This record gives sequence, C-alpha cells and structure tokens, in this order.
Amino acid sequence: MSIKVEAFSSPGCGKCAHARDTLKAVVEGLGEKRVTWRDVNILEEMDYAVELGILSPPAIAIDGELVFPALPSPNRLRAELIKRVEKSR
Amino acid sequence: MLTIGKVAASLQVSTDSIRFYEREGLLSPAKKSEGGYRLYTGEAVRRLNFIKHAQQCGFSLSEIRELLEIKGHDKACCNDVYRVAIEKKLRLESKIKAFKAMSQALSKLIEICSHDAKSLDACPILGALESSVTKQNARSKNPQSRRLGANP
Repeated sequence: MSIKVEAFSSPGCGKCAHARDTLKAVVEGLGEKRVTWRDVNILEEMDYAVELGILSPPAIAIDGELVFPALPSPNRLRAELIKRVEKSR
Repeated sequence: MLTIGKVAASLQVSTDSIRFYEREGLLSPAKKSEGGYRLYTGEAVRRLNFIKHAQQCGFSLSEIRELLEIKGHDKACCNDVYRVAIEKKLRLESKIKAFKAMSQALSKLIEICSHDAKSLDACPILGALESSVTKQNARSKNPQSRRLGANP
C-alpha cells in the first residue's frame, strides 16, 4: 500500500503554492506506487483538518497523521518518506 | 482631542479598559495635557473601536495585536488578514469539537443518574468522574498498558 501525503493549505496563498510544488516534486520523485500526493483545501475540509490537529496552514499529514505542522524542507520530507517506505517493506 | 472619559463614553468601554489596552501596547494617547490627562485623536477612537469589535468576535489580545500590526504595515495585503482569519477559524472549530466531546460525556453521565435523593457517596455522576480520574492516573503511571489495550 502506498504512503499517503496530504498537503493542507488555503486557496490564494502564493508562497504556499511555490513551496508545495517543490514538495510535490519530492513525492513524485519517489514514485506513485510508493507515495501519493493530495492537495487539500483547508476551507473545504475544515473538519478533517481539525481532526488532525492542524492549527495553522500550510501543513503536511502523512497517512492521516499530522507530521509537519509547518511546511518542511524538501530534504526533511524526503528523509521522512524514505524512512516510512523502508519501514513498510 | 478627547479625554479618556469622553472616549470611553463614546464607545461604551470603561476607562480601566482603555488604560489596560495602553499597558498592553495596543493603544496610546496622542499626548498628555498640561495637567497630565491623556488626550486622544479620532484615529485612536477608531483603533479602540476596532479592538472592541475584534474582542467581541473572539479574537485574543495577541491576535488583535497581530491584526493591528498587519493593518499598519505598508507591505501587508488582505491575504495576511485572510491567513489570520483561517487560523482563528481552525482554533474555534477545534474548541467546538472539544466542547462537543465534553457535552457528550456529560450526557452519558446525566443518563446514568437516577434522580434519587441519594447521599453524595452513592452519586453515580461523582462516582463515574472519580473512576475516570483513577483510570487516567493508572494509565499515566503505566502508559504501556494503554497501548496494549489493557485499560480501554
């Protein structure tokens, strides 16, 4: 089963969009079979964001767990995902 | 120029509140009169009105400070206010969720009450609260048991 990365942000945030694209490229680089990416509009899925404990977008959840309350660097995200991919083998 | 009393009366706030906002750095008088009385401009009155409304909307003093900083910043735009509003909504929704959970827990406790004139020792609500505190203490002393499902 692939690891699910969810990026929570609010619409219209230019800074978030740029950082998000960089992180999305990290996820795509690991291959869709291993990791999938989903953009989440926090205004449309407010209940889900609250359930995960998100208090300030942008934030990243992995497999339904808030792992990065603020956007991480590409290297940190890659390291976290590789760790999880290896663990799931 | 308006005295503190006139400003307070025009916005229906107390003079103590105005002095408190001043201590918190949210508001300051334009100058002091020769007699040492605080004097405020129309801009200060508008600022105070903003603080009052923001407080009524549930914004904390630190959040109001952030909004006022954004408002006074040349390079700020409405996206900055939008971000603060979204964060505030997330915090409110999170509190609503916690309140709902508390309300449901209380409903369960109310259900088990038989409305009899029992002594406090036999009160099922106090008993249930007591036992949940005991369980919580046991869990915090032995967190492993929670993970293993020994104390659901």
